[in-house]
Amino acid sequence: MTYARQGTPQTYARHSGENSRRVQIEGVAAAALKKSQARLTAVAGIFAIGFLVLAGRVVDLTLVRIPELFAAPPVVTALAFRPDITDRNGILLATSLKGVSLYANPRDIPNPKQAARHLAAIIPGLDQAATVARLSSEKSFVWLERHLGPRQQDAINRLGIPGLNFEPTVKRIYPQGRHAAHVIGYVGIDSEGLGGIEKTLDYEGRQDETRAQVLSIDLRVQNALREELIWAVAEFRAIGAAGVVMDVATGEILALVSLPDFDPNRIDQSINDQRFNRATLAVYEMGSTFKTFTTANALEIGTVNLKSGYDASEPIRVARFIIRDDHAKNRWLSVPEILVYSSNIGAAKMALDIGSERQRKFLGDLGLLRAAEIELPEVGSPLSPTPWREINTMTIAFGHGVAVSPVQLANAFATIINGGVHHVPTLFKRVPGARTPGKRVLSEHVSADMRHLLRRIVVEGTGKKAAAPGYVVGGKTGTAEKAKAGGYNRKALIASFVGAFPMNDPRYVVLALLDEPKGNESTFNFASAGWTAAPTVGRIISRIAPILAVKPIDEDDRQLMAAAWTP
Amino acid sequence: MSVLGDPDPHLTFGKKLRNNSWGLVLLLCATAGLGFAILYSVAGGSVDPWVTRQAARFAIGFTLMMGVAFVDIRFWLKAAYPFYAISLVMLVGVELVGVTGQGAQRWVDLGIFNLQPSEMMKLSLVMVLARYFHGLAQDEIGKLRWLIVPTFLTVVPVILVLREPDLGTAILLLAAAGMVVWLAGARWWLFALILIAAIASIPIGWEYMHGYQQERILTFLNPERDPLGAGYHIMQSKIALGSGGIWGKGFLLGTQSQLSFLPEKQTDFIFTTLAEELGLAGGLMLLALYTVIISIGFGIAFRSLNQFSRLLALGITCTFFLYVFINVAMVMGLVPVVGVPLPLISYGGTAMVTVMLGFGLVLSVSIHRDVPIPRKPGLDAP
Repeated sequence: MTYARQGTPQTYARHSGENSRRVQIEGVAAAALKKSQARLTAVAGIFAIGFLVLAGRVVDLTLVRIPELFAAPPVVTALAFRPDITDRNGILLATSLKGVSLYANPRDIPNPKQAARHLAAIIPGLDQAATVARLSSEKSFVWLERHLGPRQQDAINRLGIPGLNFEPTVKRIYPQGRHAAHVIGYVGIDSEGLGGIEKTLDYEGRQDETRAQVLSIDLRVQNALREELIWAVAEFRAIGAAGVVMDVATGEILALVSLPDFDPNRIDQSINDQRFNRATLAVYEMGSTFKTFTTANALEIGTVNLKSGYDASEPIRVARFIIRDDHAKNRWLSVPEILVYSSNIGAAKMALDIGSERQRKFLGDLGLLRAAEIELPEVGSPLSPTPWREINTMTIAFGHGVAVSPVQLANAFATIINGGVHHVPTLFKRVPGARTPGKRVLSEHVSADMRHLLRRIVVEGTGKKAAAPGYVVGGKTGTAEKAKAGGYNRKALIASFVGAFPMNDPRYVVLALLDEPKGNESTFNFASAGWTAAPTVGRIISRIAPILAVKPIDEDDRQLMAAAWTP
Repeated sequence: MSVLGDPDPHLTFGKKLRNNSWGLVLLLCATAGLGFAILYSVAGGSVDPWVTRQAARFAIGFTLMMGVAFVDIRFWLKAAYPFYAISLVMLVGVELVGVTGQGAQRWVDLGIFNLQPSEMMKLSLVMVLARYFHGLAQDEIGKLRWLIVPTFLTVVPVILVLREPDLGTAILLLAAAGMVVWLAGARWWLFALILIAAIASIPIGWEYMHGYQQERILTFLNPERDPLGAGYHIMQSKIALGSGGIWGKGFLLGTQSQLSFLPEKQTDFIFTTLAEELGLAGGLMLLALYTVIISIGFGIAFRSLNQFSRLLALGITCTFFLYVFINVAMVMGLVPVVGVPLPLISYGGTAMVTVMLGFGLVLSVSIHRDVPIPRKPGLDAP
């Protein structure tokens, strides 16, 4: 039988034999077969090489590369012993308790049910059913309970159950709970520092268990700041808040609060938003508080004096931006008026005369363009424009276009009013009486002028509600819209007030920042800083000034006030 | 003449049984058995949740394979175009009604089970290309205009698969199609040209890639770049491989895999588990098994006398090789991470069924190796 056909170029011919069949192929089909088989050989060769490469790689990985892969990068290990942490007055903030953890060898436990019942009587909250299951398992080692006290250990020993054993453990305790949570931080289950000062201690490798780490925090001030911020969050229905109290002469932080906060003893029950440090890790566009820096900058380099001023009657149009005033006076404003009435137009014009380069250098000297150098791992890097164009110079003049953390703002503000010297902020207590190194950024007389101007804002400007009678408060409000994709959200505000007291001889800077406050009846539905953050700072100062031994004076007595202001 | 072509008086059922490559069948079973053992280990020494279901799938796949194998090869020749059309329609269906799984639209929910049309396309594309080149004369293959149709046959499903997006399958389809065209006898400079064009288009392709795809390629170039994120798979995989040594840590004793450091340890990254527990010896043994399977596939292709059978067997064997090569190379950090399972070993139904159906066709080629098929339709009736 054949499949051959006349006229077709190819011929298939099959000849049947008796025992076997021979197949013969001719013509084009034969050529195709030949070519195909040649190429098949080539492909087989490529495949063979491919598999050889794979085999070589398996050998390479299993035999040759082991040490290289296991040489992990240097890891910060947990401290063997963690030092205690105290506030500046020696009040215990964190300590370690020695105890034992209970484990068992289930194979040696004669009666799991009975054992579990006895243990449950000693250890409150022990899950009896789970314990029975663990004690009945086939394993030779099961954990039963972590961190038991000596009394419990003794009671368990008295049970006389074979197969129960103890492993010494250390448990980290935070006696003050939430009060300084974001400063102290927290540890993991093996006592490794996971946040805050606890983590910093790991990085610095402090192994000295006997000497406590003394913080600059004053727990009394910390508590007052926290309570007033909690009040403000509730009153103005904010989603969060941050607060800082800083010693202007040393850069020591006496209180640092971020809300919402968490209980470091129960870190596993906290959520990210609680652990997030709004005072140091978050960066915000601060708004008008930056006019303080613009004014100081202009006075320092002499592009303005207290008698000069700018025309603020018309909004400025630059490219597609319009700069206008929120509290528009629509007239020529003197330099003090620009600050006191918080004029965007005036600040922008002032910044144009300062120039981009000098503005950037000044803000840099104040520490606003690099991450704050405090002893926390949670430090946010500020955001600033590159390139720094003229339009940026104008918007930065009133606090838009640069985002900084609250602690940076407080630190820069301290520099403006303390006589003009920038101190690196710290959370560790400095040696009392020792001279704190600093860098002069501003001349003393400009700093003195700024103190007067900032006091006027509280007396007659946007910061009236920050007044704490007797403590000569001065400061600046700042209301900024939160940035959102492609612009600003007019409904979501960051309201802040940064102030100092007493303004005639400043000792402490107080900053309060509210994240998305809402107006209420008492504020006539205004949510801006003058109505929300300013009164919060007033309340804080009223509470902490007596603690910090600042003597009140009668602000209405003109003679006394005049005497207080003269050095 | 019946649907299955002219019944061949010489090719009795007994003859078919003798013609079947039982060696290949045995090796496939052995490999799948090794797969069950590893899945048993990955589940911590339990047949649940993977081994029982995988074994059931293998049983289904095995039945389908034997069924396909004993169907006359001329039926598959005739079915090539319709199958391709059905697969294409299903791929378009994914675009329209696909269920999104892990960020990609790849599945059509058929009610009883999820069907992955891109898997079916892997077989259909090889079949349709083999069918097309079967009808061409040798001198025609050398001419460019005869390559227009196969180009379209390949590019359309590749684009559909890329849109899902499933880069791994797209690469497999392209590579398998390329191999079939090459083996059919297209001119070699054409491939050089395509290669150059492909390299030149890399920057353009980069722009069109998904963020995660770009991320994978960057991570491939430097896995330490992001050891806890995108580089995690590869780092953990390498550590597992490296910790295995020559003889491995022992069955059920691989710490990296048992302690779940390895992601996807039962699917795409299963080779790592094997190499950790059974060591270099185990890894090389599996590669040897695959090598023998592929060699047998080539042998079957080598012996078959018509273009369709030869190209079909070769195309499927090549696809199988690409599966193995891409998967193992990916696990060992030689190529970027793409979703390609380790055939017969990785847990997963569609890939298993595809591979088994494919080998069914290879076996059919083996069984019907002496059945002549004329180049043009209409010539086969005596």
